[in-house]
Amino acid sequence: MALFPSVDWFDEVRNVFNADDRYRGAGGGYCNCVAGFRIAEKVFVLTFDGFECSAAAEGDDGTLDDVDFYLEMPAEAWRDMVANIAANDGADLHHTLNTLDLDREDGLATSKHGDQVREDLFFRYNQTLQFFFDASALVETEFP
Amino acid sequence: MSEAANGAERELDLGWMDRTGPWETRAEPGKYGLTIADISIGDYGDAPEVSDNLTGRARGAAARPASYRIGAYAVRSKNEIWLDNASFLYEEALQRQWSSATDVPWHTIEPLPDDVEQAECQLATFLTEVEFVAGDVPARWVSLTTPDFYEPRQVLLAQVMDESRHMDVFRKRALANGGGLMQATGATSGFVGSIDLSRDFTEMSSRLHVSGEGAVLTLFRMGELMAQNEAEKVIYRLCAQDEARHVAFGVMHLRYMSETAPERREEIHCYLDEAEGGLIGAANPVGQLTPTSESMAIILGGGKENFDDGMNKIIAIRRRQLQEYRKRVISAGFGERFENGRSRVAQMIEEAA
Ligand SMILES: [Fe+2]
Ligand SMILES: [Fe+2]
Repeated sequence: MALFPSVDWFDEVRNVFNADDRYRGAGGGYCNCVAGFRIAEKVFVLTFDGFECSAAAEGDDGTLDDVDFYLEMPAEAWRDMVANIAANDGADLHHTLNTLDLDREDGLATSKHGDQVREDLFFRYNQTLQFFFDASALVETEFP
Repeated sequence: MSEAANGAERELDLGWMDRTGPWETRAEPGKYGLTIADISIGDYGDAPEVSDNLTGRARGAAARPASYRIGAYAVRSKNEIWLDNASFLYEEALQRQWSSATDVPWHTIEPLPDDVEQAECQLATFLTEVEFVAGDVPARWVSLTTPDFYEPRQVLLAQVMDESRHMDVFRKRALANGGGLMQATGATSGFVGSIDLSRDFTEMSSRLHVSGEGAVLTLFRMGELMAQNEAEKVIYRLCAQDEARHVAFGVMHLRYMSETAPERREEIHCYLDEAEGGLIGAANPVGQLTPTSESMAIILGGGKENFDDGMNKIIAIRRRQLQEYRKRVISAGFGERFENGRSRVAQMIEEAA
């Protein structure tokens, strides 16, 4: 059982994601970016390198200066997304990352540097990021 | 001397063995395999600033002095087409291909209300039409570019493959659920088609990659938002990924051009003036009320009766589309147009508010 959000939880998802070859095709594949996540006052950073998500770490607000883009939603929205993925073995039509991004007034993905080429990596690698979070369906998750 | 099968003796001409490019090259695979960045070593890695190669000779191969010209290559100056991350974009494009036949869960499409299905088919008709242009135009420019600039050519060739998949996947969608193609929208004879009138690669790229495909990227993301089933979700998400690579090509090329040919900056601003015109016209389904924006509002609202709800969502997304365009142009190095009053985009964003 892993607590969401925590580095342990991201590590367990990484293990599932990195071990499954299906995520390397079907629009997945090489992915090179550093993505941040602001979840309930905490900051996490995932590093994607080639086929792998090679690292998960906890950071702070300053860490977000250096990521290519970061995703930010209220804690309940994150929890809702993760629970939806677990219940449906993958996000349903209303809980994919892109849908959540466009459904929100301020969007889900943003950056501090404002360089759209780096922010665009969220779109360019969207299927990989979706595969990553969908892989969390196999991780037993508890919420605080 | 060697002996042929019939026993006759034959003189071998081994002169070709001495006619090589740089030799003893040992490219080694890196952590991503043997990429074209890994073989960009020694003289083979050097693209000339100006290419005099008119014979189709592979860059680095020994020249044949007597060979005739095969390509009337118009693009022979490096800064006309170059970008810093072409090798990377090309390998990424190869890695992230997908099949419209087998990677889309077509079985998840179910009958929709008539007005929604008609709207889906209208949008699919428009997109199929637009993708023809997106494939044809880069293909033409590949044939006009010296082989010495093979890295950006490879990216454009990968783009042509992507666009051909986009063309077929929307055609498949139109024919998959009891509808069919609707009336041609005329997009190919409007702004979208006019991309093909460009006489300069950067002019084409600023219209196609930065303005046009940037807008289409938002459109695809919006398609994912309004998908009625998992199949449409996947179609639009995967098309958006491809589109983001095409946009990255254009922005990175503009950036290279801006840094290496500052004397052409004013000319590029003129191309951007024209490209911005395309963001308000009928070629942009979230630009103004057209058959495509009407159909999108019906899909987003969930039927004709909720048209206004759908339209409000379109307007919100139009704003996002314009903001992203502005930030891409800033990233490319042409941000002053938003400060000195030249660009109308800020006003367009306000009007969309
Ligand atoms: Fe396309
Ligand atoms: Fe494209």
